[in-house]
Amino acid sequence: MVNIRKLLLILLCLLASPALWPEPALAQKSQKSQKSQKKPALDLENVRKLLKSSEEEQVLSGLELIAKNPEPAAAPLVEELLKAGSSLKALLSAIEVAKTLAQASSSPILAAYVQHRTPDLRRAAAKALISTKGPTAVSALRAALRRNDPELRSIAASGLGSLAAKEAVPDLFLVLSREVPDAASSIGELCSLSECEKFVGYIGRLPFDVMQSGLEPILFRSAHDIPDDFKLSLIERIRKLQTESASELLKTVLARFPEDGSPKVKAALEVAVRNRTRAESGK
Amino acid sequence: MKAAWFSLALLALSACSTGSGSGGAFSKTWQNDAGASITKLEQRLRSAKRVTDARVAVGVTEKGVVGIGLDGSRRWAAQGTVDVLPAISGNLLVTSGQGRITGRDVRTGKALWQKSARGMALRGAADDGTLTVVVAGTSLNRSRVLTINHEGEAFLDFETSELIGQPAALDGYAFLPWASQYISVLDMKTGAEVARLLLREQVSHAKSYDGDIYFGELGLTRFDKRIGFATSKQGNYLRLPERDLPGKPVWLGSGTERMPAESSARTKIRIYARPVFTGDEVELASDSFAATYFRVAYGLSEKDASLRWVKALPSDVVGGAAASSGFVLCGADGKVWLLGEQGTDAGHVELGDRIEVCAVATGTEPLIATKPPQTLAEQLRSAFEVLEPDMAVAQRFLLSELGKLTDPLVTKLLIDLSSSPRLPPEQRDETRTLLAGRRNGAEYMLSALERHYDFVSGVLLPPPVGPLADALAAMGEKAAAPLLARHLNDPANSALDVKHAAIALRSLASEQELDELRTFFALYRATADSDELVQAVIAVGAALIRIGGDDGRELAQRAARDPLTHPEIRRALTSLLPASSKAPATADKVAPE
Repeated sequence: MVNIRKLLLILLCLLASPALWPEPALAQKSQKSQKSQKKPALDLENVRKLLKSSEEEQVLSGLELIAKNPEPAAAPLVEELLKAGSSLKALLSAIEVAKTLAQASSSPILAAYVQHRTPDLRRAAAKALISTKGPTAVSALRAALRRNDPELRSIAASGLGSLAAKEAVPDLFLVLSREVPDAASSIGELCSLSECEKFVGYIGRLPFDVMQSGLEPILFRSAHDIPDDFKLSLIERIRKLQTESASELLKTVLARFPEDGSPKVKAALEVAVRNRTRAESGK
Repeated sequence: MKAAWFSLALLALSACSTGSGSGGAFSKTWQNDAGASITKLEQRLRSAKRVTDARVAVGVTEKGVVGIGLDGSRRWAAQGTVDVLPAISGNLLVTSGQGRITGRDVRTGKALWQKSARGMALRGAADDGTLTVVVAGTSLNRSRVLTINHEGEAFLDFETSELIGQPAALDGYAFLPWASQYISVLDMKTGAEVARLLLREQVSHAKSYDGDIYFGELGLTRFDKRIGFATSKQGNYLRLPERDLPGKPVWLGSGTERMPAESSARTKIRIYARPVFTGDEVELASDSFAATYFRVAYGLSEKDASLRWVKALPSDVVGGAAASSGFVLCGADGKVWLLGEQGTDAGHVELGDRIEVCAVATGTEPLIATKPPQTLAEQLRSAFEVLEPDMAVAQRFLLSELGKLTDPLVTKLLIDLSSSPRLPPEQRDETRTLLAGRRNGAEYMLSALERHYDFVSGVLLPPPVGPLADALAAMGEKAAAPLLARHLNDPANSALDVKHAAIALRSLASEQELDELRTFFALYRATADSDELVQAVIAVGAALIRIGGDDGRELAQRAARDPLTHPEIRRALTSLLPASSKAPATADKVAPE
């Protein structure tokens, strides 16, 4: 027992000793050095050589280097690789890297890969376009809505929403009723007032879980984008559905309603949720 | 020898007749007179008054029979089920059913006489204007011959064990085919056999076409001044050209088997033809014959059975006849279609009820088309528009005919059919084969290539890119190049189609297509996962070498040296490149820039 006490004492003394702790300046220096060790500057010339290699392993290691240090200056090298073509594995990796680099200059070659016959490649390219953005990305994703790959269409539908491609809303409406549910949320994010009215017209015609993903963003949009009056009538319409999922939607929106959101809309949401709760407890 | 005599005696016993007035007909001890008796009779009857048939259609319904003039006049209906297809001769209609054989005025449906059927069904009947001969029978080789006037007075009524086929009648004489080889001519009042003809070909029909009499089954021999020579096959004779047709329809069939009154495939798969004598020889009216396969009717040339016209009707064809010019066909929906000799509409009449089978007499009047005929390609297009996938046999036949036509419209039709859900997959494949062989209609091909799979606008089948590429390349159609290049990079096209497009581009592509070619080459040189794609990349590589200048050659060189390029593509590119720029035999580790 005495031995244990002695040992604990020694341990405490050692921990308290300043010799074991670096000085503040030293500590900062060490952190910086660790950071610089994690992300050394990308040796573009080396990467170029690796990407030009005819060995898949070398190409992959070049891409890995960029992934670890995603400098925009590396984008042209990745684009060159994609333009020249390579093995499936290398191409998939290159597309991932292009996605990470998120450079609009990569969009044209990624758009070409959205047409690839290999589903994994074209889907990865479509996802990458969402991050590279630009008009080429929008037009490639709009074209992807027309392809014979349901997963690709879903990626494109949600991607167009992320890219705020308002011009694609008519296309999104066309695929919405043709088993592309992801179009709903994008429509909700992008629709003009008349388009939102059209979308709301689908209530009852499309499954509510599909509609829900589009109705929710409409309610969060600014008054400048979509007038509050429309949102109030939409809340009323959802309330009148008197279904559990409609009630859940209103509750979710209210819970996430922003502090600086429209007080009128918030009040309407509160009333709708309260009335529903009362009705439920009355039952 | 004793056994032979015994057999003969048995034969004579089995052939013996019962009833009134057989007059010893159908004797098997008859000695062939080499056409003498029939020649003599023909001479005697040459100036006899011929009876022309009424122009009527008579349908068998669930409840009885309905009739109507082909001019739409005098629709009538008579109750009472019938068991076999009625027979029309002159102005007389003979039916059997409910245990009776009934004679009616075919123009009005009025019953003229009725006789007990004695358990037999009608095989055929013929009328010479005054007297009618009726042949009835069972399937057990029993036949009954009845001759009767329009007032119902019977003259002959006997049964025999001989299988007698469909009769004809002329000026008091009944022409009775039997034993598949004889025509016995009986006096319809006395039953005396006044002549007999031995034919060297199967015979179970004696048929009158408006008083012009023919005998036969596979073909028809005319009863005229050459009839005596028919014994040695030198009579005036007509046979349809042979051709394998959908459902293998027959023209006359066996005259000893009357068609049942319920519709069946046999009812709906038939041939309708009518012989006419030109003064020198027997030919077919309209120079053609019609065949039916359920809803499809088509006309075939007398000369070689080539397709002359085609028509798809709204319902199955359950009866009909060839007219002196044109054809009459009855639809199961009760509509009777009159067609001109080119198969063109010449009007229609309505029986007013759904029918099972139908008998038609066309008289001597030709059927005149009310509209100019469409081209055969247009007719085929109309037919394909209404044919359902269950009509595959007819579709296959019509497709093969379509391929023979040079009309550019056929190209368009084949393009449409290649993606038509109405066609079974194997026939869509056939349209592709035919399309690849087309050498005209380029404008339709180019227009089709403008189309791509488009989920949004509901174009869910791409055009037949491969066959179009083959045809356009064979025609050297440079305008196809940009369209084909776009299809290269459309993943909705099959790899096979892409391969054909690439091969066509090898010769058709110009510098304007370089971007599309380069993209395709880059996308697939290392990722091609099928033989078709490999071949496509090789063809595109060849096009790049041809039109891409130094850049194109360099691209091919680099790919040929890159071990990541598909090995087969590398080999092919190496052989395509000029000797000075070929890739080394072993792979470089680093591709040159």
